[in-house]
Amino acid sequence: MSSLPTTFFGWVGFILDKYGTLFLSGVGVTLLVAITGTVIGFVIGLLVAILRTIPVAPRDPWYRRMPLRVLSALLNVYIEVFRGTPMIVQAMVIYYGSMQMGLRMPVLVAAVLIVSVNTGAYMAEIVRGGIISVDKGQKEAACAIGMTHWQSMVHVVLPQAVRNIMPSIGNEFVVNIKDSSVLNVISVNELFFMSKSAAGTYLRYFEVFFITACIYLALTFTVTRLLRLLERKMDGKTNYIIYGSQSDSKASIVVPKEGGVPND
Amino acid sequence: MTDAPILSVSHLKKSFGEHEVLRDISFDVSQGDVVSIIGASGSGKSTLLRCINFLEQPTAGTILFQGKNAETQWSRAQYHARVGMVFQSFNLFGNMSVLKNCVVGQMKVLGRARREAEEKALMYLEKVGMAPYRDARPAQLSGGQQQRVAIARALAMDPEVLLFDEPTSALDPEMVGEVLGVMRDLAASGLTMLVVTHEMAFARDVSRRVIFMDAGVIAEDGAPQDIFVHPRQARTREFLSRILQK
Repeated sequence: MSSLPTTFFGWVGFILDKYGTLFLSGVGVTLLVAITGTVIGFVIGLLVAILRTIPVAPRDPWYRRMPLRVLSALLNVYIEVFRGTPMIVQAMVIYYGSMQMGLRMPVLVAAVLIVSVNTGAYMAEIVRGGIISVDKGQKEAACAIGMTHWQSMVHVVLPQAVRNIMPSIGNEFVVNIKDSSVLNVISVNELFFMSKSAAGTYLRYFEVFFITACIYLALTFTVTRLLRLLERKMDGKTNYIIYGSQSDSKASIVVPKEGGVPND
Repeated sequence: MTDAPILSVSHLKKSFGEHEVLRDISFDVSQGDVVSIIGASGSGKSTLLRCINFLEQPTAGTILFQGKNAETQWSRAQYHARVGMVFQSFNLFGNMSVLKNCVVGQMKVLGRARREAEEKALMYLEKVGMAPYRDARPAQLSGGQQQRVAIARALAMDPEVLLFDEPTSALDPEMVGEVLGVMRDLAASGLTMLVVTHEMAFARDVSRRVIFMDAGVIAEDGAPQDIFVHPRQARTREFLSRILQK
């Protein structure tokens, strides 16, 4: 057996060589939990926010007002509970609680469930903020051409709300990549959990977690870049074409959004 | 002018809390009428228009459209499709192109096919001189251009009545002309129009009838030459002399 490394970077190289696949599988689980958790959490948040922004007029009949009131109260409880307790505690309660009640769910399912429900509570408020930040005139204009509340939400308000909250959604995604590490308490073999087992063998905590930190940083940095690209795509083209001219109806000019030189 | 009014407002009232903005407004609008509603800020002109379109729920009163109660006998969507609105702040859908703005209502509310809706949208965009800009986003256009698109969007629904809520008030002076030009053409085409405006030239020269509002009531109602040349009421005279001096 060859001798053990003596320098910091020697150890880093050694550990990478020995536990590279372990780290990789940890990255896989972390990404899986963070991505599905954020996506499902976004869907939950979207639904909750849509339900909480259904307009109720005082002159609506009671059978329309009452269910909405009750629903809204329940959703409030959900948001308060899941925003008001640490995810690490939620993980313990949900995982061991369900086990005690005889429901033994695979640990990965539990992980995705916990992250989704936790993210959903935050997303609900983020989406609601996005909805109320869309200019009231947009809703009025939709209403004035005959759209129903739902049509105006689907076609006019929500697309603009979601665009506006993209930075916050990105935040949640980054938080989930990092905070899924707390799921090691229920033995989800994500990146932190894998790092701990890698560090345990040779007791090289500093080197191992230096590597882990670099991996987390690489993940979050990549994700923020990708989200910026997505945002830019959502904004649509920066230029548009003016069709026709006085002499030629088939002519077209491309006009850049602001400043810049027109190209044709 | 036909006999039966296309729009009939009777005893309309609107209060915001304690504040009574509209007190007992009644008037009829005939098919093809072009009515300017003038008056000082706070006189309730915009609220009246918003009540007619149910963007504000009237506190009391009835609105008949083509002889049927707008609130109970018309479905809200059908009523809105027939009674269009142009806003002071344009309110073009920010997430859609110019063309899509004019198409979405036709498809979702009137159930028209995309081809038909796009042809109609382009026809009206052509009419307001904005067809070349069909792919632009609202944020890429000037205020005057946006307002012309907003008018095309309203026209694409084939409305019977079009309400204009201070359509030129948010525009730079040099853009007012292009929008008023479009409205003048519409008035000549026989569309029934209700226009809340501060443009006295439009009220005097284009509209066939002027309603002067003051403190939540209709103070005077008549032909433009009567209102502008021979106002009967002191408050009308006072308002006109104030605004025409500017």
